[in-house]
Amino acid sequence: MCGLWGESNFMNLLSLFSPPPMDPLLQIVSGVAIFRDCNRAELEALKLHLHERHFLAGEIVFDEGEDGEGMYVVIRGKLRANRKGVLSKKSLGVIQAGESFGEMALLGAGPRMATVVAEEDTTVLAMFRPELVALAQARPRLGYKIAMGVALVLESRLRRVAEGQSSEPSAT
Amino acid sequence: MKPGLSNERSLEHPIIWIAVIAGALGSILLLKAVAWLAFPLILAVVLYYLVQPLLQRLQLAGVTPGQALGIFLGAATILTLIFSVTILPSMLNSLADFQNQIPTYWDRLQGVLRDNLLALEERFSFAKKAGLANSFQEQMNLFLAGAGKEYIADVALFLLHWLPSLLLVPFLTFFFLRDGTAFHRLVLRAVPNAFFEKTLLLFDRMDNQMRAYFRGMFGLTMLDTVSLGLGLWFLGHGTGIFGFWDAMFLGLICAIFAWVPYIGSGLGGILAVATVAVKAPSSSGLMVAVVLLFLGVRLLDEFIYTPMTVGRALRMHPLITVMMIFSGGMLGGVYGLLLAMPLLGIFTVLGQMFAEIWFDPRLRARYQARGLLEKRLASKDLGI
Repeated sequence: MCGLWGESNFMNLLSLFSPPPMDPLLQIVSGVAIFRDCNRAELEALKLHLHERHFLAGEIVFDEGEDGEGMYVVIRGKLRANRKGVLSKKSLGVIQAGESFGEMALLGAGPRMATVVAEEDTTVLAMFRPELVALAQARPRLGYKIAMGVALVLESRLRRVAEGQSSEPSAT
Repeated sequence: MKPGLSNERSLEHPIIWIAVIAGALGSILLLKAVAWLAFPLILAVVLYYLVQPLLQRLQLAGVTPGQALGIFLGAATILTLIFSVTILPSMLNSLADFQNQIPTYWDRLQGVLRDNLLALEERFSFAKKAGLANSFQEQMNLFLAGAGKEYIADVALFLLHWLPSLLLVPFLTFFFLRDGTAFHRLVLRAVPNAFFEKTLLLFDRMDNQMRAYFRGMFGLTMLDTVSLGLGLWFLGHGTGIFGFWDAMFLGLICAIFAWVPYIGSGLGGILAVATVAVKAPSSSGLMVAVVLLFLGVRLLDEFIYTPMTVGRALRMHPLITVMMIFSGGMLGGVYGLLLAMPLLGIFTVLGQMFAEIWFDPRLRARYQARGLLEKRLASKDLGI
């Protein structure tokens, strides 16, 4: 039956009551360990403080020793983290799409512990510490989730280092 | 060079200081040229910084940013309606009474000044030779006959010109509150990757400084109003010169005058003494008491109120402050007097931002490297 109450019309009517699909960028962010516990409303609030940046292959995202002001989530592309060695630079590994790096900067304005360079054309989402702090003050529940997320990520990295596994590339 | 060192040396560059002062003075000229827009814009920015913490409190209570803005707008509309129905009519009546009494006040003020000049002539022979009282009277008559009327017409035209533009204030404030974050992101998109983190940090610093300044100034104005208002009421209520609300209103006007550093407090004091002189010409003791009250509040301002509210965020060397105020006043009149210091503060932070970013060799190297990468990419695409 294809009248007024046909199946397609009914489905269209139902779609009015279902939430619109999530922004693809937010889908990626929701998969990042730090933000895994955030619900959709919290991610939408977070979206206002995400800065999309495009890096060319070979371009430096941040530099070892400079003051860290925020963290990054890779949307597309690939980056490499390097640390200065005694004789030559030491590669810490590759950071892929869906991974985050630079989380240490969320805890304080200490110097970056590695240089991160784009290996290919890359898109990242930058999150700036003072903006996240302001957001956490306005929404303490979200602030708590992010703080716990950062703590868990750092805890798992410390554990890996203590267990003698390779150093984490995103420990920057 | 370590990146952290750039902060310490950023304002040592003389070109930056010259650019900061030139920028502040140039902005005064620009704002004077578009005063009808600049005035509501500045008021909207002030309101934005005053209202923002309220919205944050609402968000803390669990409402979304949009709902918080809606609740605030609703409450503001209701309060405006209540104000329009209850307080506004009596305020307009008082204003009409005051307008009727202006000629009397003016005559009394002239009388007080003339009496004092005559007393001066009696005591000092040089004043008598100069004929101070007569020449003052002649100047006043000349002013009232010609220039005074022109000034009054100018003031009336000025008020007619910018009062409608005040309607822009709530409109602009609403959009600052609603779209401020999105606009901030839009501006940041234009910043090259190399300077991005530093720019974000410095924007945040400027935002914090402006917020602290405007909130501080609001708090300082309230404290000054209450101190001066209570003081004037205490001194004048016995002799029937000031009612409570009259004293508070005069205190508020003097507190607004005090926005202009150094000069404003003096002007406020003169206004209050002139008011006492007009209302009670024979009580010279009261005038001295008002002067002492102003000196007392000035000391409170300097040692307690200002450190409590505005802090030392915009503290400049007194010489620079006075030079800026006079230059601002010369270039932009009342606008220049009021805006000289806030604009100098904003341009100082902008100067710091520019210097910290531009004089950091690592950031510049990264910026140049990006340019080379773009060039190489373009050459590859073109097959050169």
